[in-house]
Amino acid sequence: MGYDTEYDALVIGSGIGGMESALKLGDMGYKVLVVEKEASIGGKMILLSKVFPTLDCASCISTPKMGATAHHPNVTVLTYSQVEHVQRRPDGGFRARVHSAPRFVDPARCTGCHLCEMACTVSVPDQFNGELVARHAAYIPFPQAVPQKALIERAGTSPCTFNCPAGIKAHGYVSLVRSGEYDKAYDLVLETTPLVGTLGRACYAPCEESCTRSSLEGPVPIRRLKRFIADRHGAARVGTDATDGRPGAAGAKRVAVVGSGPTGLTAAWLLARKGHRVHVLEAAPEAGGALRLGIPSYRLPVEVVEADIANLTAAGVEIETNHPVGDLGALREEGYDAVVVATGTPVPARLGVPGEATLEGVHSALGFLRDIKLGAAPDLSGQVVAVVGGGNVAIDTARSALRLGAGKVHMVCLEARPEMPAHEWEVAEALAEGVELHDTWGIAGFSGQDRVEGLQLQRCTSVLDEQGRFAPRFDEGTRQELPCTTVLVAIGMGADTAAFPDLAPDGARRFVVDPATHKTPVFGVFAAGDAVTGPATIAKAVGQGRKVAHMVDRWLTGRPLTGFVGPLPEVDRADVLARQHNFTRHRAHDAALRFAAVPDGFEELEGPLSEEEARAGAVDCLDCGVCSECHECVAACPADAIDFDMRATDTEVEVGSVVVATGYELFPAELKPNYGYGRYRNVVTGTQMERLLAPTRPFNTVLRPGDGKVPERIAYVMCTGSRDQTVGNPLCSKFCCMYSLKQNQLVMGALPLADVTVHYIDIRAAGKGYDEFFEQAKAMGTNFVKGRVSGISEKANGDLVLRYEDIDNGGRPAEAEYDLVVLAVGVTPNTGPAGLFQPGELAFDPYGYVAEVDEDFSPGATSIPGVFVAATASGPRDIPESILHAGAAAAQAAAYLEQNKKVPV
Amino acid sequence: MSGRRIGVYVCHCGGNISDYVDVDAVVAAAREDPDVVVARDAMFTCSDLTQSEIISDIGEHGLDGLVVASCSPKLHTFTFREMAKRAGLNPYEYTQVNIREQCSWTHTDDHEGATRKAISLVRAGIANTKGSAPLQPTQVTTTQRALVVGGGVTGMRAAIGLADTGLEVVLVESQDELGGWVGTFGPMFPHGTVGKDLVARLREDIGRRPSITVLTRGRVTSRAGTYGNYQVGVDADGAHHDFEVGQVVVATGFSAYEPGPGEHGYGAPGVLTLVQFQELLDRTEGRLAYQGRSVESLAYIYCVGSRGPEHAYCSRYCCSAAVHASLRVADVAPTARQYHLYRDMRTYGRNEEMFTESRRRGSLYMKFADDDPPVVETGTDSLTVRLHDLLSAGEELALPVDLVVLVTGMVPRQQDDLVGVLKLPVGQDGFFNEIHPKLRPVETVVDGVNICGACQGPKTSAESIASGLAAVTQVAAVLKRGTADLDPQVATVLAEQCTGCGDCTSACPFGAISLFGSGNGAKAVARVDAAGCKGCGACVPACPVDAIDLAGYTDHQVRGMIDALAMEVAR
Repeated sequence: MGYDTEYDALVIGSGIGGMESALKLGDMGYKVLVVEKEASIGGKMILLSKVFPTLDCASCISTPKMGATAHHPNVTVLTYSQVEHVQRRPDGGFRARVHSAPRFVDPARCTGCHLCEMACTVSVPDQFNGELVARHAAYIPFPQAVPQKALIERAGTSPCTFNCPAGIKAHGYVSLVRSGEYDKAYDLVLETTPLVGTLGRACYAPCEESCTRSSLEGPVPIRRLKRFIADRHGAARVGTDATDGRPGAAGAKRVAVVGSGPTGLTAAWLLARKGHRVHVLEAAPEAGGALRLGIPSYRLPVEVVEADIANLTAAGVEIETNHPVGDLGALREEGYDAVVVATGTPVPARLGVPGEATLEGVHSALGFLRDIKLGAAPDLSGQVVAVVGGGNVAIDTARSALRLGAGKVHMVCLEARPEMPAHEWEVAEALAEGVELHDTWGIAGFSGQDRVEGLQLQRCTSVLDEQGRFAPRFDEGTRQELPCTTVLVAIGMGADTAAFPDLAPDGARRFVVDPATHKTPVFGVFAAGDAVTGPATIAKAVGQGRKVAHMVDRWLTGRPLTGFVGPLPEVDRADVLARQHNFTRHRAHDAALRFAAVPDGFEELEGPLSEEEARAGAVDCLDCGVCSECHECVAACPADAIDFDMRATDTEVEVGSVVVATGYELFPAELKPNYGYGRYRNVVTGTQMERLLAPTRPFNTVLRPGDGKVPERIAYVMCTGSRDQTVGNPLCSKFCCMYSLKQNQLVMGALPLADVTVHYIDIRAAGKGYDEFFEQAKAMGTNFVKGRVSGISEKANGDLVLRYEDIDNGGRPAEAEYDLVVLAVGVTPNTGPAGLFQPGELAFDPYGYVAEVDEDFSPGATSIPGVFVAATASGPRDIPESILHAGAAAAQAAAYLEQNKKVPV
Repeated sequence: MSGRRIGVYVCHCGGNISDYVDVDAVVAAAREDPDVVVARDAMFTCSDLTQSEIISDIGEHGLDGLVVASCSPKLHTFTFREMAKRAGLNPYEYTQVNIREQCSWTHTDDHEGATRKAISLVRAGIANTKGSAPLQPTQVTTTQRALVVGGGVTGMRAAIGLADTGLEVVLVESQDELGGWVGTFGPMFPHGTVGKDLVARLREDIGRRPSITVLTRGRVTSRAGTYGNYQVGVDADGAHHDFEVGQVVVATGFSAYEPGPGEHGYGAPGVLTLVQFQELLDRTEGRLAYQGRSVESLAYIYCVGSRGPEHAYCSRYCCSAAVHASLRVADVAPTARQYHLYRDMRTYGRNEEMFTESRRRGSLYMKFADDDPPVVETGTDSLTVRLHDLLSAGEELALPVDLVVLVTGMVPRQQDDLVGVLKLPVGQDGFFNEIHPKLRPVETVVDGVNICGACQGPKTSAESIASGLAAVTQVAAVLKRGTADLDPQVATVLAEQCTGCGDCTSACPFGAISLFGSGNGAKAVARVDAAGCKGCGACVPACPVDAIDLAGYTDHQVRGMIDALAMEVAR
């Protein structure tokens, strides 16, 4: 970014006070850096309707100051940035660290056209409209914002997306489904992998485990939404044309992908989308690896895998089956520029117990599952089957055996049931289908001469050693015989290191790669997937394929093997829940499993979601990360300005003096529960009323938010949160009386029939022309009632009943009904500046405002020489006072700079 | 067709204009003019977004003239001139048309009529731009010295602030010495700072700054010159001084309200103004006594001289000052009964702490109705205050008290001579007026004359000093640049037409026109000092032969505007 690192003055905050200080210092010839935490300068004033006592429109006063600040030759503005720390230097100057949050939109390219905003699929409450209406996650803050540039709000990565090992934008496709954009949802998954339908069924869905809704009534059915979009896609179109580039484009290279499991297919797909010519070489007669030859069809139908593979062939990837590769070097000679080895873990682990290799009836589970998928399923009628192992493959094996007619299926595993590697729900389903589990048993030996007749079990006392390594210990005294006629061993699998010894030097059990680049020791050969990591989930394998594709593409195009940008940090689920005001409806989404007590076929168990269920499920999404990464904005932006890889930047600047103009916070009206704010929709704050009255108002008229009715009886409750020991703020907020008097007059102008009543303690119209303004409100017909309001209750029709003290009429408690109640909320300190300096350096008053240590002589001077406070950062002030006070701060900053011989640039 | 390429921008001003004026119709009418190349509407023309659009239009369409139809030129003339400059267009090729203050806001009851009027005004604005010419401002070097009028705390602090930015300062005080009101004060709210001590500190700081010249017993007698370079005359201590200054700061403060005889018993023994009571407290050591008698009870009557028919405004500081005084009473006479008779307690902001503290320490507060003020009965040896207290269900109370304190406010200082010399704008309330409380809070409509402190309206000491320092930034912002641009919209003489009659020289209120070149048979010709001319136009109609024109407001332009206004609006 084009800014310097040395300034005469640093102004923190760009509300009306900060802008005034910056402009005056700039006019005096000093170089000024303004740092604003919001995405636009202007602070709170720009959001007001009109301003008292002149009734000028706030925009008309603010916008020229905003424009002047942005264009002043001596003033540099950094929005969406925060000063994190300021350090005093011995020479009287300061060193400040500025943290600039990423906008995810390149401001140099953005033209402010709003197309991203219109394309965005996420809506959140609009903080610039008092949260009365929604805005999108991609947005331009408000119509008069400076700069008029879009940004994308990202609180972090949504847990579902963050926890997806494949790197699929789970939140993104959920929000697209919510919007009814099913094809776009499908295409979004295709940005990561072609295996949409496969993952929609066979993925273990860590997304759902991490879904914030899990802690409420149950997760959003994220995986099944993916199945939904894949099913719809399959019905609507075959294959896809959603590629970035066509294979064979200029500069395209030839790539061989060895292996067609999830890693190989994903890598091939992504490389093809980059424009490379890709051949997938598969040793088996069918493509798909474990997806096609491992996972049983009741979990993952063959047609689903085939539909996913059709994505690749439609994109020009050529898949050659029955094509084993022996010599990697030869592939290079055949003209491939790069090779990706993703051959997975086809080699079954062995028990190492005598008889395993020789006895009839002892098989590896991998071969068993593969035979089923190749149409060579053994007949297990009447057989007593023992499956050895406690992982997901063991479950698949056991349940497949049942489906092949086995009379009895036992599962034997070392672990106790809660510690089994298989998912608990899978174990439960297997048991429900009739599998009998024998946990905490190891295999001591086989019984039988030629054919297996039983398993000799011994009690396993522990599986892992102190370091957490696999080192089972047994109680050899506790033994048991388990009669059986078939044994299927599913205790693990490994890479085929024998086939590619060059990739596994020094007897390594997996292929060895540089973990950052996926390069193998062989030039031009990369490896990824289970063959590198060991057996993992499909999603992890896809993630490997995605990463290796990125590296291979970089390598082929002569770029450094970097740039694989990880996600933003995961959002804190507690923060997500805390920012929700209320939760409407919600039901858990049941899995709709079609169970049979005695399964007899390989039909798919899980039912699909109807469109209605899918939409309802997607609507439950809490938009944890705010932006869903659906990438609709990327497609919509005509300037190619969206950049999700933007990250925060930190800048160190040297400045001669500092003006703290960080403003105030509004009192949170929820802290007065007797007034019902947040519960009664027709109780609004003064800020919300400003928005209802503003020229850029959300509804283009004044109406009450509860039901859109035009209010006829409007009450103001003064001193909400001010002059109130019960909320810890004994101070008067100074401007609420005046803004309420202003609103009274504007409301009566907008709604000539409305009755406006002000419940007050004292009307504090102290200032030039202010009491005259009070008289004007009285003359226009505002009804002033002295006495505090003790409570508000809501009637069924949304009207509100106020209980108040009626001092003018004898001081009795009284009640009155209103259509709309406005709480005249006041000021609380912005505690932001507390962390700016070393603890104790910058003094604060007992309430938390920046202390003016010599107010009578040098208003704006703080406890630190060279640091000045402007406007409401040091206490409640109205706009004219803030402007004068900011001018005073600027005068003293200038004096300090002169004294320190910081000659104006 | 004039061959000009003009852009017209019609503003909605949120709804301020478009709620009453059919903006689309105005845009359509503007498009009818063959010289109008672009005509558009905008939600906020002054917004940065629309400004950028106009700038790109200027480049894209090669515009050589602009018309912005929005609000009063008082608000945004500078905004759009700056925008024009950024776009490389001469800022005087732009005309501001006021369709808000002069149209939508004045005709809220007649939308059609307002639209017709807006169309006429915009057509006139287009005509004005058609006749415009690029004008170049005269750049002058500014004098690096400021005159501060008034040696109270505001003027003193402003003088120090100005000196600290590197400017020379002439500080003129009418009294024998610096200090003003605060120099007579004891402890002030809210920090208890003693006024006399504060002034002593200010005096000391001034003494350490050789760039500040202090003149006491002084008054400003004359002011002449042009923006950034004024000649001021000051009589001080019987001597006359002339100074060249770049800017003037007026900080002449206020007068205290003096109640009329009998007003709430004023004049009777024991009825004091707030200032008199504060002096009594300052003098008090140990026992609180008035004329030798202990004070055991007092009544404060608020808003005396404020918020009434004579002075409609609120004096802002008096509530807090009276509460502060009552806290001082509580210190010296803890058992004294203190009654506060008020209308609205305006202890705003942090001053609320004092209000709470005073109640904690026993002060009693009673509220009287605006139209039912308390009555002070003055007996020979006693004072009784009667009121209807709204906080006690309107009950009539009679309070026998030893002292009545009339909580009196601030009134404008009478200083007609200074107002005359500097032509200071006086508001309805009698205080000096700034141009705009938010946009230009210390400047006045008089070039180079700034105001601050309580001469602008009631303020506390600290608030006054803050505004004095704000004036420092304004003055320094103008002068530290070293140069100033003078408005080029000045009178020009067509020498060949001028008869040298001299009527214009007597018409000019600024003495900026003189006759040159007589003798040698040549005729005398009027000549305008561009730096001295304010562009007021008084000379133009005075010329019997139409030999004077005002740049930016030429006869040609005005005739064009009249013709345009006379065009019928078909609807």
